[in-house]
This record gives sequence, structure tokens and C-alpha cells, in this order.
Amino acid sequence: MNERSGTDRPLLAVENLQVQFRTDEGIVQAVDGISFTIAAGETLGIVGESGSGKSVTNLALMGLIPQPPGKVVAGQARFQGEDLLGMSPAALAKIRGNRIAMIFQDPMTSLNPFLTVAQQMTEVTELHLGFSRRQALDHAVAMLERVGIADAGRRIFGYPHEFSGGMRQRVMIAMALSCKPDLLIADEPTTALDVTIQAQILEMMQQLQREEGTAIIMITHDLGVVAKLCHRVNVMYAGRFVEKAPVERLFAQPRHPYTLGLLESLPRLDGQGSNRLTAISGSPPDLAQLPDGCAFRPRCPYAIERCASETPTLVDQENGNRAACLIDVTTSPRVAETKRP
Amino acid sequence: MSSAPNPAENRLTPADAQPLLEVRNLRVHFPTRQGLFGQQRGAIRAVDGVSFQVRPGETFGLVGESGCGKSTTARAILGLAPATGGEIWLDGQRIDGLSDRQMRPMRRVVQMVFQDPFSSLNPRMTVGRIIREPMKLFGLHRPEHRKLEVLRLMDLVGLNPRFLNRYPHEFSGGQRQRIGIARALAAEPRLIVCDEPVSALDVSIQAQVINLLMDLKDELGLAYVFIAHDLSVVRHISDRIGVMYLGRIVEQAPADALYRNPRHPYTQALLSAIPVPDPELESRRERIMLTGEIPSPETEYRGCPFASRCPVAEVRCLEVVPALEGDEHQAACLLVDEP
Repeated sequence: MNERSGTDRPLLAVENLQVQFRTDEGIVQAVDGISFTIAAGETLGIVGESGSGKSVTNLALMGLIPQPPGKVVAGQARFQGEDLLGMSPAALAKIRGNRIAMIFQDPMTSLNPFLTVAQQMTEVTELHLGFSRRQALDHAVAMLERVGIADAGRRIFGYPHEFSGGMRQRVMIAMALSCKPDLLIADEPTTALDVTIQAQILEMMQQLQREEGTAIIMITHDLGVVAKLCHRVNVMYAGRFVEKAPVERLFAQPRHPYTLGLLESLPRLDGQGSNRLTAISGSPPDLAQLPDGCAFRPRCPYAIERCASETPTLVDQENGNRAACLIDVTTSPRVAETKRP
Repeated sequence: MSSAPNPAENRLTPADAQPLLEVRNLRVHFPTRQGLFGQQRGAIRAVDGVSFQVRPGETFGLVGESGCGKSTTARAILGLAPATGGEIWLDGQRIDGLSDRQMRPMRRVVQMVFQDPFSSLNPRMTVGRIIREPMKLFGLHRPEHRKLEVLRLMDLVGLNPRFLNRYPHEFSGGQRQRIGIARALAAEPRLIVCDEPVSALDVSIQAQVINLLMDLKDELGLAYVFIAHDLSVVRHISDRIGVMYLGRIVEQAPADALYRNPRHPYTQALLSAIPVPDPELESRRERIMLTGEIPSPETEYRGCPFASRCPVAEVRCLEVVPALEGDEHQAACLLVDEP
């Protein structure tokens, strides 16, 4: 997979996005000033664990943050020149599902259990593309066939519960793609699926991208999926990007201790087996109680004293990655690991 | 209940090590009924003739996709799902068909760790009490020594003993899984059945729990039946692995042999479907794409259960049910060449 630059004319340019939530434990900064761009035909991976803010980022772009308790407190998201974050809800609704589509981990969150698939799929194209009932239905059947649903002309009149998990995911993807969006935001789209079905869905997304030039933001925790699908990757931790790199270099030459830790902690299918894994110690960050300085410091095997007082920002590394770390992981010593973190 | 044969004359002993667990031709069929009088219409054959052995100190991995019967197999071993055919032998005793009461002493030998550390712990009990319960149930340790034993177990699984009086909701997912493991250990079992023990955890936490399970195995000489859909995890932790499809084991082999030289077409497809975290390797890999989905275990079929999706199936595959054949490395496929 080749590197693409998103610089010439980005489809979407997000600048300094900040999202806060009001909780019992005070104000929590779920997304803390992230910036990224994505170009047409490109797949950008956003990788992180629970509480990293990767899903909140997606919801903020789509104007779907529950408000209150949530609030987008700063930032811009220029999509084809217009700022999504400053748009009226009505204007955003016109873009959502039309030029920007979303797919989620659980298809039932975006499928209405009381409506047939036909009713739901024709609604979008009638609304956004001005199709007649007949056109919309033909188009919907064609989309279902395209995502590999056999006997689509009959099955389209079924309800979501009559489809299996993998089939529902396909229905959702068909629905998301039925207006030929310029940007597809996929939030853990295959996490709930079996691997053979996952392989089919990922293959299908790649094919659609090749044919339509759709840009994809792939939000996932699965580094295998990232390796297969993404061109560039942003690694997220506690609401910030800690590393950005083209996919090959992220895996071959990670420069942030968290990225390194994630890669080392994976059991490998092609590995030697049965030796101990190098785990990252501690737990994912509690956003209500982040430490001063670098949020990863309590779990970081490289941490030095300065990490407790300085919050690192993304800076260029010698290999071209950008990483938010005061330390050079290629030369710095690692604190000896305890046997049982 | 069925009369369990006398353990004294058990026939389990092969030449060398007696298996701790032996599952022979296990079937778990759930009847499906319809109509006013609930006539049996058919059966969901969740487990349909599964056989394997687990030796003391060994980890046997069971992999497969949803609905393949791996969790039902686990539940049957614990007596939580009714075996409708076959035999389950644990530590020289036949345990299938035992009543709850008869099963109770055997529950000391085999314990279970569940996938969901959020719903498998009683939210109204403190951690200390959760871990102490099995000791009370099995009458282990003198009551005044139990607290000390709880503290020892907490330390063993990497929980801070100061958290003795905290409640499950105060812990993260990874810590709750450690509580579940400590509770299982409290019964001093020889075998732990782990059903997707790390799949609800974040990547960085998965590695911690996998390491813990492997350390405990070494220190305590435990055996595991390790069930997961993530094949990289299963490969890492298991000595031998069985691949399940539609209620049957289609291939069974030492972990390394299975991954280096998968012989059943389903195992080959399953392995090739997993994206590996290595972009360069990933771009070069050949994928065997399976079409369609796993048939429902209610569907009647003749011949090989995988034939409907198999990329290399021949006409004879639709007629003959292939048996699991081979010595160390067994595959249930008519088309597999002998190694």
C-alpha cells in the first residue's frame, strides 16, 4: 500500500478539535486539541483504546455529541471548504448520510428495527438525491447486491432482525454508501464480526474505495485491520494524538512509547508462540484523573522526571514520523519491567 | 441420571499420562419445538460429536467462529449445558449426566473464567467475599485462615490486597478479569475452562492477562481449555488446538503444526482471513475468501459440514462425513493428503 499525501487539497481538515464532557467527577476533556487531514481516496486510521477519544472525535464531526453533557469547545472541521462544527443542525443533516456517511460497530444502532430494510434504504436516496420511489428501490437493491447480499430483491423487504450479524453490517454499509459519499467514517465496523466475514467486509470497503474514490476514516483498536486497510495512521491516547505516520513506518519504526507498547503486546499469528508478551503496565487512562505532564507517563517504561511536568506536543522525528514524546525511544534506556505489571 | 462407571476400573489410562479431561464424541442437541403440544420439530446440533483430551498442565485451545459450538462445549464440561450424547471424563471420573449435587465435588477440579468480567461478578459482594466464596463452598482452609488465603490469591493475580473491601464496579475491566481468575483459583482447581477471557479487554490489557494465565499455569501446574475467536491469542497460549466448525472439530494439532501447516480447508481459510499487524506482509498475503456464512446448526446436511462453503469441495464431499484422522495432527477432510 502506498503513502499518499493529504496536503494538496484535503477533503476534510480538522484543526484543534476539543470536546468536553460534564461528569460527576468534573469536566472531562475527551478530545484535547487534535488536528488531521484526509484526502479523497485515502484511508486514515485512528487507533486507540477505550477512553482514547477516537469515537468522540467521530461523533463531534457529525454533530452527534449529546449536548449536554458534551460540548465541542473549540476547533474547526473544514469539509470541502465548509466548517462542519459551525454549521446549523439543518445544514449538517444535509451532509450527513449524503456526502459523509458513517458505519458503526453495532449495526442495530443505525438500523431501525421497526422498518424494513427497503423503507430505510429508500428514505436516504429519496431525501438526498431526489429519487422517485421506484428509482430508490432499484438503487437500494443494486447496492445490496453489490455488498454481497444474495436474493436482494426479496430480502430487501425483510426487517433488520431477519438478517445475521454479518448481513446486517453489509446492509448498513450498503445504506451508508447508497448516496456515494465522499467520506466514510467507519467506527470499529468489523469488531463484532467473525474473521471470515470481516475479511469479506474489508475487501469490499477497499473495492468501493478503488471504484468511487471514497475517503475512509477507519476508527479501530485492531492493528491487523489498520495494517490491511490504512494508508496513514494517527495513534490516539487520552484525547490526543501521540503519533502520526504512514502505515508502513508506524509498524516498522514506531517513535512513541505507546505505539511501541501496543505493537509489542500483540500475540503474533506468525510468531514464535508461548514466550511472554511484553504488556503495557497499568490501565487505560481515566480521563477524570489524568496526571500532570504526559498522560502516558504512569505506564511508560521510558519516562523520565521531565515527563511529569511537560506536556509533549507532536514534533517531527528523524524518520519523518510525528510523535508527542520528550524521549528518543531508539536510544533511551527502558526501565526494567516487573514480572507481573 | 446415567450410572457413571466405577472410577476404579476407568479405561482412560493410555500408556503414558492419564488425561485430566477426556471428551468422547460429545453431543449437545437442543430440541426445537413447535405447535400447541410442543412436538419436537428438529434439533439445533450445537455440539455434534466432539472428542479431545487435555493432559495435566496442558493448554488445549478451541477456536472457531460464532455458533461453531465452542462455548457450548465448555458449558457441557462444567455441567452447565446438558450432554445429549457421548462421555465426559474428568480426573478419571465420568461426569456427564451427574446431578448438581454429584457434580459439586468435581467443580473443585474444574473451574471457569468467563468472557465478561462485568456480568460474572456479583456487584453486591466485595472482592474479598467473591474470592472467599469458593473456599466456603468446598470447605477449604480453616475459616480463620481464609482471609489470609484471599490476600495471597489477590497478590498472586496482581491485585493490590488493599482493595480487599472494594466492590467490582470500582475496578477496570482488566482488574475485574483478575478477580474472576482469583475466584477460580480459590477452589484450587486443576483445570480452568476459559471462555473468551480476554476478548472484552483493551489490547494493552489483553497481554497482561495472557501473561498472568501463562504464569499461573507454570507456577500451579494448571491445565486450561482456552476458548477464543482470536486465533493469534489462542496460538500464543495453547499447546494443542482444535478448530471447530458447525459443532465438530475439523482439525486438531499441536499449535505450531496447525499454524505452519494447516491441513483442513476451513483452517486454511480462517488463518488467511486474519489481518496481521504488519503492512508489508499484509500487502503480499494471499487470501482464501470464503463466500457466504456459516449455515445454521439446525440445517440438515449430508456429508461434510463445511462442503457448502469449501473452495475445493468435490461431489463426494456431499455424501461422506469425513472422520478426524491422523495421529498428532488430525484433519477431518476427504481431500487432505496424508502428511
